[in-house]
Amino acid sequence: MPEPRGELDTWLGVPVQPLLPPPGTFERVSRQARRLRTRRVALAAAGALGVAAIAAVAVPQLVIPAPGTGGRANGTALSAAAAPPQHPAAGVAGSPPAPASAGPPVPAVATAPPPLSVTFVGAATGWVMGQSLPAGQCDQPAAPACIVLRRTDSGGASWRTVHAPPAHGPNGPTGVSQIRFLTRSDGWAFGPQLWATHNAGRTWTQVATGGLRVTALEARGRRVFAVWARCAGTGTGFASHCTGFTVYSSPAGSDAWAPALTTPATVPGPAGGAASLLLTGTTAYLLPPAGSLLAGPLTGAGLQPIQQPTGAADGRPASCPAGPAQPDGQPSGALLASEPSGLDLLCTGRAAAGRQRKTLYASADGGQTWQRTGQAPEAGTAWSLSGSPSGALLLATSRGIEVSADGGASWSAAGGAMPPAGFAYVGMTTAAQGVAVPADPAQHAIWFTYDGGRTWQPSPAGA
Amino acid sequence: MGKFRTTDRAAAEELFNACYPRLAGWVRRLVDDDDTAHEIAAEAFTRLLARWSSLDNPQSYLYMIATNLVRDHWRRAGRERRALRAVSAASHGDPVHHPSQDVDVRALIQSLPDRLRQPFLLHYYAGFGVREVAAMLGRPEGTVKADLHQARSRLRAALGETGA
Repeated sequence: MPEPRGELDTWLGVPVQPLLPPPGTFERVSRQARRLRTRRVALAAAGALGVAAIAAVAVPQLVIPAPGTGGRANGTALSAAAAPPQHPAAGVAGSPPAPASAGPPVPAVATAPPPLSVTFVGAATGWVMGQSLPAGQCDQPAAPACIVLRRTDSGGASWRTVHAPPAHGPNGPTGVSQIRFLTRSDGWAFGPQLWATHNAGRTWTQVATGGLRVTALEARGRRVFAVWARCAGTGTGFASHCTGFTVYSSPAGSDAWAPALTTPATVPGPAGGAASLLLTGTTAYLLPPAGSLLAGPLTGAGLQPIQQPTGAADGRPASCPAGPAQPDGQPSGALLASEPSGLDLLCTGRAAAGRQRKTLYASADGGQTWQRTGQAPEAGTAWSLSGSPSGALLLATSRGIEVSADGGASWSAAGGAMPPAGFAYVGMTTAAQGVAVPADPAQHAIWFTYDGGRTWQPSPAGA
Repeated sequence: MGKFRTTDRAAAEELFNACYPRLAGWVRRLVDDDDTAHEIAAEAFTRLLARWSSLDNPQSYLYMIATNLVRDHWRRAGRERRALRAVSAASHGDPVHHPSQDVDVRALIQSLPDRLRQPFLLHYYAGFGVREVAAMLGRPEGTVKADLHQARSRLRAALGETGA
């Protein structure tokens, strides 16, 4: 009987025998790659900026409901946490989420539209927004029915088509790209235009914004907040070249929008910078492209600059500009999130050769002071940061998902069937369940975790 | 960007000619037959070429895709084996028999958790250095080294226990 060590080494030492390709393989592969590329480009932004070659195709997006207790909001850069009106477990009307043990679902390439944005209001009920036509065709006013909306009441196990706003994809000042629901009745489609439903999507009404573009929207408690910006970006870069940001708020059940900023009325920003909106259990935060964090109560009374303790230089870490907008309107340079112990801010450096410096800061006093807590792995480009009700942090990158259980001091790569280009968005619906959107919409699926983010599996998005 | 530029196509074809035989051979050692190996290698190249202009390390990307596809294949095959085993057990009660020692070792590698299996395959099997594997997986080099050590320890222990 051979020694185990010898057997293993022998096995590993056997040289790989080359396997020559059958004739015509390269041509076949090239054809299939062209088709795949065409589908991907369909969603790419003509002005999707360099934020990434990786995301060039995706309009990352998503929303995630925040955990019902503890006042946590999902803090990803892309979306906001829309807290379910009731605790997640109670909010699903007894309908359990799809069991993770059911085996890894396989993305339905042919039937599911590429996902743009996702929102959940509890573990079972969620919506995914997609486009029924390639971007080059879907972003034209002549294609008003291009936006597709599908709903699941089984935690992603099955989906059905529901009424979507009669809008086309994002194109400069018009169209929509994102979806958020606060309850099963009240939801919003935005980016850049704003549509609202208060009857579970049976009818949608466009909200007049006076020419301003809605670049971010989050809902929690009984109110909805949105960033209305003056921007000049074209194509899918609807949130680029913005020069001013105003937070508007409305009761969730109506469309009575009013400014929620006290001073200043409009936050100026350097051209090209983006703003991030984050809601926790009690507070709404605005991270403008330049300047300190603003905060205000969820009642909608008004956001004001956070006062710094004596001697504090700034409410934000040095050298952490919000950076240009990602395709979904969220900043690419500063990713803001929250978890039970406070706020988290990931400051990213310039991405080069597939690597990027990612420094995490945390604030336990509502953004008045920050402390550097760690460094996320440099491999990959960061797209989205999310806090979990468990206290864990999840970071979506072009490589996959990184998870930290110690406030960002150490990170480990999540397991599962990861998409090749990583994820554009990640968010936790509950401490155990979360959802992620691949950076490459050609995946035609969204990813779920049911173990707190440790492992992820794809599920057909709307098939 | 819907079509390859001539220079892109030439570069892609050059990479294909240089890498396909070894990639397919690598996959062949991990799957059951030549057809499956070709299928996985071709799919990996399809996904690579679809993202060609945005990649700074095509070969790493290629092996990462192939590793994931092999893993998916193992899962599918595992489900089929379990189903077959259930049917077989119901009718004959025969244990599953692996036809070759190679399959035994492979089965043990399949049983490794993702965290250990990915670096193991990329390092020992695909021949990437620890630093490259660390970059590919987004993990610190020290973590990759520890994972590789742990993977080998587990495999040796498993081989010892089974007396293979």
